[in-house]
Amino acid sequence: MKRNQKIGLICSHGGHFTELLQVLGAFEGYPTFLLTYKEVSTSNQKSAYYIANIGKNPVAFIFGLIKILFIFLKEKPTILFSTGSEIAVPPFYLGKFLFGAKLIYLECSAQVYHPSLTGRFVYPITDLFLVQWEPLLQQYGPKARYVGGLI
Amino acid sequence: MIFVTVGNHFQEFDRLLKKVDEIAPRIPHEIVIQKGYSKYIPRNTKHFDFVPMDEAMNYIQRSDLVISHAGIGTIILCKENGIPLIIFPRRKKYGEHGTDHQVEIAEALKERGDKNIYILYEENRLEEKIMEVVGKKEMVEAGNRGRENLIRTIKEFIEAFQE
Repeated sequence: MKRNQKIGLICSHGGHFTELLQVLGAFEGYPTFLLTYKEVSTSNQKSAYYIANIGKNPVAFIFGLIKILFIFLKEKPTILFSTGSEIAVPPFYLGKFLFGAKLIYLECSAQVYHPSLTGRFVYPITDLFLVQWEPLLQQYGPKARYVGGLI
Repeated sequence: MIFVTVGNHFQEFDRLLKKVDEIAPRIPHEIVIQKGYSKYIPRNTKHFDFVPMDEAMNYIQRSDLVISHAGIGTIILCKENGIPLIIFPRRKKYGEHGTDHQVEIAEALKERGDKNIYILYEENRLEEKIMEVVGKKEMVEAGNRGRENLIRTIKEFIEAFQE
């Protein structure tokens, strides 16, 4: 029985968004919402919240943070899933510590040997941490898992 | 049709666009370019800055060849649809990206021997490479085991948390 779960799907535009679309099958049957950047490539998505790119400047970051807080107060996510990039960091910390959400992070398949900055930020608090290239396991701690990649 | 895309990275990738535009009159295929944030305006091909995801997917599915930076989205969609792909990595030394991680991706794919994927570093060899691989679809095993494993792992995690 699929009860009481609300899954927040978080990603920036471009390849991160394509990666997220690839694994949507994992969330079938659960209520979900999408949190992404407002860009041409991410337009016209169902149950989507759009924010301006938080990586651009501190003002955009603060505005993004406030908006994410309001979205979470409304949606009350119990699980957050992200394919990166930096857009994952504020919602993961807010989700974990204010809402007790479980966190799932899928490191981008662009990271073959080196961890992404986002990955390093969220690794300590993430409950299921997946990488897409085996050599990358050595760069993270024992929590990281490799079961395969999208490319 | 040949679809050229350089992703949504903020640095320009004019090196590729200029070369494609230069050789376009000699290529017997329609060429469409998603130029992203690049400054160069192609004169000999159809082009636009960005389109929504479903339209980009549509362009890729209809292509006989895709040429792109080592962008994950493009690689995934080309592999999924069995479309030949020339990967022309963005390089740090030309101010096309902050790091050379696109070379790492390209080399990792080359080492694994992925079918339908061709790695190219010299723009001067682009024309011959296009003519060599356009429309050349090598048979690949259907399905994506990595994707299936990822979906299953995530699903199991959510279900365990449900109990």
